Amino acid sequence: MAKSLFKIAGFILLLAVARNIDAHHSFGAEFDGNKTVTLKGVITKVEWANPHCHFYMDVKDPAGKTTNWKFEGFPPNVLARTGFKKDVTLKVGDSLTVFGWRARDGSALAHAREVTLADGKRLFFGPPAGTGEGNPVLK
Amino acid sequence: MKHFRRPIIIVTMLTIVFGCARTESKDQTVNAIPRTADGKPDLTGVYQGGSTRRGPWDFQVPGDQPGVASPETQSVFPAAQVRKDPIPFQPWAKEKAQEYLNMRSVDDPAGRCLPGPGPRLHAVGLFPIQIVQTPEQIIILYEYFTVYRVIPLNAKHPDDLEPSFMGNSVGRWDGDTLVVDVTGFNDKGWVMAGAIFHSDALHITERYTRADKDTINYEATIDDPKVFTKPFTSSTTLMLREGTRLREYICSENNEDILRYEELLKRPELFRRTPPDSSK
Repeated sequence: MAKSLFKIAGFILLLAVARNIDAHHSFGAEFDGNKTVTLKGVITKVEWANPHCHFYMDVKDPAGKTTNWKFEGFPPNVLARTGFKKDVTLKVGDSLTVFGWRARDGSALAHAREVTLADGKRLFFGPPAGTGEGNPVLK
Repeated sequence: MKHFRRPIIIVTMLTIVFGCARTESKDQTVNAIPRTADGKPDLTGVYQGGSTRRGPWDFQVPGDQPGVASPETQSVFPAAQVRKDPIPFQPWAKEKAQEYLNMRSVDDPAGRCLPGPGPRLHAVGLFPIQIVQTPEQIIILYEYFTVYRVIPLNAKHPDDLEPSFMGNSVGRWDGDTLVVDVTGFNDKGWVMAGAIFHSDALHITERYTRADKDTINYEATIDDPKVFTKPFTSSTTLMLREGTRLREYICSENNEDILRYEELLKRPELFRRTPPDSSK
């Protein structure tokens, strides 16, 4: 019995689970997984297109200056299965809170992971950080 | 009165025993492998790779921490692909693959909307695949990149193959397992995510085994003598997703990433990473 358990444990240790989450492209080339951002604002435009849907949001900073941010996420087919409906879930004029990661070039572009709708409902708009860029070291 | 008690106990016990047996039998029927008229396992259905969960489409929902999936829904992505050993790259190929990773896979063909071989397509949990089975051929439809494979059974590869992204497939039944031989690849793809690139010598042997009604165990033996030192395997499970349909995914519609990459490649210091020195 003990031998069998050791064999099973050994087998489990041998399994290398590849955590290379696959998607359309590398997350890390464009976005910085260390630069999280949570922004509240009002939607100004929604693009329901492949390979990434986008929405734009006016965000006011503490000084009162408004910046129009662009957010990137899943394609329409994935959003539909994740619980989004075109022209219903995200509409121009809706208030929204977005959690994501900023673009490396410092522009007002972010990879949107999670959105919180005005009614408090939370949904994933895009995949997690690190998607598609692979492990740092080849395994 | 006492002499009635024993028969009642026996009848009660028999009812419980046969009741349980009947329930078990019903469960076995529910989970039994569907079969075609010729007795072969029927693989027909819509499936999700990279998941081991039974039931409807498996997608992540937010948990307590922003951006982090709830524990109940986290498994769908990390379990995408399982292999037993490190990738047996030849030294030059290992160096090349590591450089791809240093550049955070900016050269990934998928970023340019190009599809890849079966092991890569099957492990992507975001998009369903549909298998259509006939006695003469198996068709696999992939929502990811909206591509397909036609797999004639008991046929030979054509002798006029041109190099291709997904290769040429022929299948045969080995007992209850569908074995698919795939060859005729080009040298432009990644056989698995994470910079596992291949050459035109790539040869894949896929095994599809429907373990029960909900589950196909998929195992691919990947051989490429120009890139790897020996064959290796990659596996995943394809879980039946009744009620899910394939939708459209036309990746090239508005692929802004190509232009962004061109700009980024002028400033690689923005995203290039140095792997930690494993010798220290």
